[in-house]
Amino acid sequence: MSARSSAVTRERFMQRHVIVSQERKKEGRKTRSKETIMKLNEKSVAHYATCNSPPDKTGFLFKKGERNTAYHRRWFILKGNMLFYFEERESREPIGVIVLEGCTVELCESESEEFAFAVKFDCVKARVYKMAAENQAAMESWVKALSRASFDYMRLVVKELERQLEEVQEEARSSQAKNKPKKHQPQVQGATFSLQNAAITGPSQEGVSSRENGVSWSKPTSVPNGVSEGCVWEGDFCGRGDGVKPPPVPPRRKTNGGSPESPVSPGTGCFSKLHEWYGKEVAELRIEWMQSK
Amino acid sequence: MRFNEKELVFLSRQPPERAAELGMRGPKKGDVVKRRVVKLIVNFLFYFRTDEDEPIGALLLEQCRVEREDDQVFSIVFLDEAERKYLFECDSQEQCVEWIDAIVKASYEFMRKNLIYYRTEIHRLTGTDPLEQYGISDETRFQVFLVLQSASIHHCHLLCFL
Repeated sequence: MSARSSAVTRERFMQRHVIVSQERKKEGRKTRSKETIMKLNEKSVAHYATCNSPPDKTGFLFKKGERNTAYHRRWFILKGNMLFYFEERESREPIGVIVLEGCTVELCESESEEFAFAVKFDCVKARVYKMAAENQAAMESWVKALSRASFDYMRLVVKELERQLEEVQEEARSSQAKNKPKKHQPQVQGATFSLQNAAITGPSQEGVSSRENGVSWSKPTSVPNGVSEGCVWEGDFCGRGDGVKPPPVPPRRKTNGGSPESPVSPGTGCFSKLHEWYGKEVAELRIEWMQSK
Repeated sequence: MRFNEKELVFLSRQPPERAAELGMRGPKKGDVVKRRVVKLIVNFLFYFRTDEDEPIGALLLEQCRVEREDDQVFSIVFLDEAERKYLFECDSQEQCVEWIDAIVKASYEFMRKNLIYYRTEIHRLTGTDPLEQYGISDETRFQVFLVLQSASIHHCHLLCFL
């Protein structure tokens, strides 16, 4: 946005704010007018977009305008639960941000755009953000990334790992107490995923698409002598094949407490049940989508 | 900068992690302490007039620092504008400590760091990536960012995940 147009926007905002405040005072209203703009620490939020912490995903997407129904090509940066969009890749400040809480991401039909998807929110009269990617792989990649962007989802994963670590540490403690030498045998806790994962993301894996869009992620390099083993990851996971669990994607959440037809609400503490549930719905969605094409 | 205000207001009505009436002072010179209902929900701090149901404003709690200013007072500063302090006055020391703790833990980036730590530890102890079974181990948001602490190869630990 040019300096002049952002100044104009600011002016209009100030005028609107003044008018609304005066009206409110006249009416003696307690509830805030729906036209009032809620304050946000915008400068710092924008800073979060461009600061040196690595983004979760970046790339070009077409975004449907709010009043103007044309799709505009924008540069998107996903960081945490915030989806920023810029006019250009080189723009220093975002035009806007979409807070990704209480939303679901769905594939959608569009007359004008291929590879379209939508970000829908739970609330009444909520905005639907319609977007389109440049190809199938990018669309699937963005849909996955956006579905897993919520704070709640991250919190779930962290809690689960915290629990697992405690279990592992407890086992280590009790086996030490029994004075048994404990061998670090790689325990496969369930079938591995990579075959299934490849099917969902297509030929361009997460890592590759991230690099294309300007995010660099470190790849495993050779370990220098003297570093303890277990620090470096072998990059190639071979799928075992049987009983592969589909990657979990938070499904269409109708309400905060979870939809009535789900066997467990999203609030459940049982992580593996949740993932099974998510996985089933994703599988169903995929079948639906494939059949509708 | 545009943002989805309606959806944020809806978010402010969700069950909060923590909520209380506190004295709040804005960062501008001349701002005075006002009683506000403050609600912590995900990584946002919403603040309301005590008699209103819609928030006046919200603070995204990323890239910020929370500090104890006094016995019962804490502050939030954002790293891009460190001179501007939001002050919060609590009713007790205990409440102050609890709020500071809650706000520090409320950032997405904080959770991410924890996740990376747990993931690394579990792998170190068991030889398995705990995210593998859920098919999310190649998710960008769960990756470790390589930071070489020193040039010496004998002292560097590489923690990388593809």
